[in-house]
Amino acid sequence: MIRMETTSGVRAILQAWAAIFWKGIKHYTRYPGNFVLYLVIPFLFTLLIFGMGQFVGGNNAATNFAARTGTTNIIVYEILGSAVWMTSWVVVEDVGVVLRDEQMKGTLEQNFLAPVNRFTLLIGMSLTDVVITTGIFFIVVGVTLAIALPSAFLTIIPAFLALLVGLIPMFGIGFLFAGYIIKFKEPYILTQIVNLLFATLTGTYYPVTLLPYWVQFLSGVLPQTYVIDDMRRIVLANQTLVSLYGSVFILLALALAYPAIGYAVFKQFEKKAGVTGEFSKY
Amino acid sequence: MKELRSYFRQPAWVLGEFISTPLWFFFFALGVTLFAPTTSTTPQESGGFSFFLLGFVFIILFSTAVWGIGQTVRNEQTAGTLEQFFLAPASRITLIIGRWARVFLTDTIIIGYTTLLLYLIGGGLVTLSNPALFLLGLGLFEIALIGFGLFFAGLTMRIKSYNTIANLVFFGYMIICGALFPITVIPMPFRYVSMVIPFTYYIDLMRHAAFSTPTILPEVIEYTASALLSVSMLLVGFIAFNKIEESARKQGSIATS
Repeated sequence: MIRMETTSGVRAILQAWAAIFWKGIKHYTRYPGNFVLYLVIPFLFTLLIFGMGQFVGGNNAATNFAARTGTTNIIVYEILGSAVWMTSWVVVEDVGVVLRDEQMKGTLEQNFLAPVNRFTLLIGMSLTDVVITTGIFFIVVGVTLAIALPSAFLTIIPAFLALLVGLIPMFGIGFLFAGYIIKFKEPYILTQIVNLLFATLTGTYYPVTLLPYWVQFLSGVLPQTYVIDDMRRIVLANQTLVSLYGSVFILLALALAYPAIGYAVFKQFEKKAGVTGEFSKY
Repeated sequence: MKELRSYFRQPAWVLGEFISTPLWFFFFALGVTLFAPTTSTTPQESGGFSFFLLGFVFIILFSTAVWGIGQTVRNEQTAGTLEQFFLAPASRITLIIGRWARVFLTDTIIIGYTTLLLYLIGGGLVTLSNPALFLLGLGLFEIALIGFGLFFAGLTMRIKSYNTIANLVFFGYMIICGALFPITVIPMPFRYVSMVIPFTYYIDLMRHAAFSTPTILPEVIEYTASALLSVSMLLVGFIAFNKIEESARKQGSIATS
């Protein structure tokens, strides 16, 4: 347990973050199955797509794949998409649903009455996920690169940096859901649809250019689209973050926009919930 | 009726299932398109549409066992109503099968709706070359699924991290049993794993009845073996559930969530 020694200033914020972070880590270590699942699912989905692709393409599957993507390294291409998808899955499931979980346990009011700013609270909730998603990324992508493309193993570092920039807008999206879920209370089906939509729109297993033009517009406002594309260019086409400055700038812009929008929406929902007494409704 | 009422009481959940099922199909279809011959752009053009649509039906049916039957006990456990459920003057199996009936009904509606939706957007329909044999395969599959679901329901009294195991089994089934691609795609040493799992044969028989694809074993042997496996799985599931419940009652772990 972390005892807060002060309720204002930078030290108080750091203490609050530490407390929320450790609570999240304890939760993960208490239920390790969830983490195992996050590690295994990217491989399972990749195998599934790979198997279906082999059936459809037969002996020419790899050639057909290369003609559309520019690479014959199917597993690495798909795993990079899977790893980013899992990352956004964790963010949506955790940051989006965490307040609903507190609501169901009856501890949301205590959290909101604590002398901690809401933004600090939301950031604290995200810190655990930074560690968890980092772990998922390094294990899933690291193992894949070590086996399937050892010559490109070190590209995992710039690829991770692209993910790190992309995580900020993803957390902003998480804040948006957090507010929505306090209001509408149906987190699980919503997160399932959102995760599936993200996978479809962001080119998890295919380039987004395959999508209809109007859908590509939607893909363009999602940070995962840029992260996946950048990672594939870094790992499979030997590009650097510097040469991808255009998409990095877009990611940085999204990193400013999404947390601001997410927090503003969250505050609106919170304000309304305070008036209507929604906080304690099961 | 309780299960049905509980299901329709959450309209967002119902709506979500109706949105997510076809969305999963599109998601996989787009992924597979990359591997199709460059002259065709969609799986349906390369002849895979009906195959994958039927594969989705196999997946949805399997989910009735894992999340329909298996999760019954876990849901009641976490809601704190499992003791009342078990104290009711009705057989446990009857209660669990009641839940399965609800899931089966709603899943059948979802399958019908998804098929219709895909047809309306130009995907075509699955035509069964031998509907009677397909129904026979489906019947055997469902008997086996009830047995498997009962075993899984029992397991939830032992293992609390149900969701992790359910997901792993579910994904394992999708890959190993050839729901979305024939097991001939699986490399040889791993294919033996597929061949010792009973579900592989139900899928194979239904696909054979639908598209006249060759069966893994000679047809008569495969039907006979599948029938025997269905009955065995139902019995094993029933016995396992009763044994696990008896042991959980002795240890007082029935309602531990």
